[in-house]
Amino acid sequence: MISNAKFRCSSSTQRTLQRRPDWADDDEFDDPNTLPPQTITTNKDGTKTITTYRFDDTTSKRIKTTRRIKTTTTTTTVNPRVAARRTWPKFGLEKNHPPGPSFDTTSVGENIIFRPSVTWKKDGKEGEKKDAAGIGGTDKEKLKNMKVKCRICDGEHFTARCPFKDTMAPMGEEGGAGGGGGGQGDGSEDGAGGVKEGGLGSGGGGYVPPHLRKGAAGAGERMGGKYERDDLATLRVTNVSEFAEENDLREIFERFGRVTRVFLAKDRETGRAKGFAFISFQERADAAKACEKIDGYGYGHLILRVEFAKRAT
Amino acid sequence: MRPILLQGHERSLTQIKYTKDGDILFSCAKDQVICAWFSANGERLGTYHGHQGALWTVDIDPTTTLLASGAADNTVRLWDVRTGKCVKVWDFNTAVKRVEFNEDGTKLLAVTEKRMGFLGTIVVLDIKVDVEAEQSDERALTITCEESKATVAGWSYLSRYIIAGHEDGSISQYDAKTGDCLYNTPAHEDGMQVTDLQFSLDRTYFITASKDKTARLHSSRDLTPLKTYISDTPLNTAAITPKKPFVILGGGQAAMDVTTTSSRQGKFEARFYHKVFEDEIGRVKGHFGPLNTVAVDPLGRGYASGGEDGYVRVHAFDRGYFDFGYEVEREMGLVGVGKY
Repeated sequence: MISNAKFRCSSSTQRTLQRRPDWADDDEFDDPNTLPPQTITTNKDGTKTITTYRFDDTTSKRIKTTRRIKTTTTTTTVNPRVAARRTWPKFGLEKNHPPGPSFDTTSVGENIIFRPSVTWKKDGKEGEKKDAAGIGGTDKEKLKNMKVKCRICDGEHFTARCPFKDTMAPMGEEGGAGGGGGGQGDGSEDGAGGVKEGGLGSGGGGYVPPHLRKGAAGAGERMGGKYERDDLATLRVTNVSEFAEENDLREIFERFGRVTRVFLAKDRETGRAKGFAFISFQERADAAKACEKIDGYGYGHLILRVEFAKRAT
Repeated sequence: MRPILLQGHERSLTQIKYTKDGDILFSCAKDQVICAWFSANGERLGTYHGHQGALWTVDIDPTTTLLASGAADNTVRLWDVRTGKCVKVWDFNTAVKRVEFNEDGTKLLAVTEKRMGFLGTIVVLDIKVDVEAEQSDERALTITCEESKATVAGWSYLSRYIIAGHEDGSISQYDAKTGDCLYNTPAHEDGMQVTDLQFSLDRTYFITASKDKTARLHSSRDLTPLKTYISDTPLNTAAITPKKPFVILGGGQAAMDVTTTSSRQGKFEARFYHKVFEDEIGRVKGHFGPLNTVAVDPLGRGYASGGEDGYVRVHAFDRGYFDFGYEVEREMGLVGVGKY
């Protein structure tokens, strides 16, 4: 941790103490307005730990500063004339100033990385050229050489117009969809790797939203987080009477198991049911049983049709 | 490398100079004060007060006893380096644009401006390298530049010649004893002023910087052009680095155009070129105004640059600088400290 620099503060920790400490902590009953003296301890490895206290001017808190200092002596031979000049008294505007640089005239700038290189000019020029092309070429020029390319069949038409739109998945996505399910369960390591691969691997073809990347979990995360519906145990009930109520439906389905949610679609203006509903069960087995029994059951003046809800896409 | 920033001046820097041992740095600016700094840590040793006009030039004698300065108040002053006292004032008819001690510090040349009906001159003064001694008022030699005024000048090896750079871009060599003009050759584009002239350590060759965006290396003996360094901005200063075969050029957009350009376009960087291969090998950023002056530590440990922005930045080279070399240089075992 400690380098060979002449003076290097290797670590400094700050702990602020309240000016009026809790009486329970205050075993010495010291005056909060005085500062403990500076302590210097020598460590085993030759370094020194200096602990100093001071008051912060703005917040009037007591600040403890711990510095660990290693002193390395480097001997350099200096021309005696130069050494003599170092002891000259200061004069002019600096007269009577203490030795050492003063902060109003001398400061240390940012670190500059200066590495001479044979190819310096070439590197610089290439960068400039790239810049010029980026700025000079308008969007129109950039698009001039672009061709319309279908994502499904590679043909020269928009994807939406593709004749195989309904029968084929976009190219190169089959694999991604298959691997998608695993990502969630296998733990973060797998998922992270997948995202990285997918994000960078698509030949630099621009931005890919996270949920479309390879290895991302299927359709991605939805808003709502932990309240996400479990579509596996949800039934879709259609042909519901428009005078039906949610409570009636709940009553019917509760016979088969614990119902977690009943949703009856209603018209916003009239308040009447639209004719379909969703019933979520806690257990899929219960849902299956309900599906079997209630499908074809007469309710109101209509016969209910019950089936498993399809996953929203 | 972390540069040390020196903020001792309120106006733009005009010249900076290292002592021969490289331990103290003198800077002068248009704010009429000379500052002395320790180059190792940026501590200011003191300031020299007395000039009544913008300071144009400063030089230190090889023994670090006397400091000479020239200013727009038409005087050349000699200072006791140690105490900051002015020991001698020479009055001239016009502003003094450049002063330089010769190799042993016994002679001082001063370049005076062409103005108010007076022609530009190069004046040589005899110096006794002693703070207590009475300096003579006499001009040992006066060279009058009738064609084009001299802007910069310096002493060649063994104080044999005086080399001057002119406003029209030419350089000339004068005999330092008689003042005869021996050579006058156009070095830079016609009408493009020579802005700086700095010698190599042994004074056998020198570099000139010009407004024509080039810097050139010439031989002191017969002004033979040796090398040309081409940049993309008007140059104000150029220096030759000891220990490594590089040159440092500084310049940038003319001071009056600075406010109309961004600092990136302004090209306010110190440019490093390979002295032999004439290739640019790197740049050091930092100033936000044109570089007016660059000085190199005579021991090759670092360099300092002074800008129109009023800052002096002192850089200590790090390992990457010393380890750099062309393939050819490596094969010949020339890379490393002290190989050149």
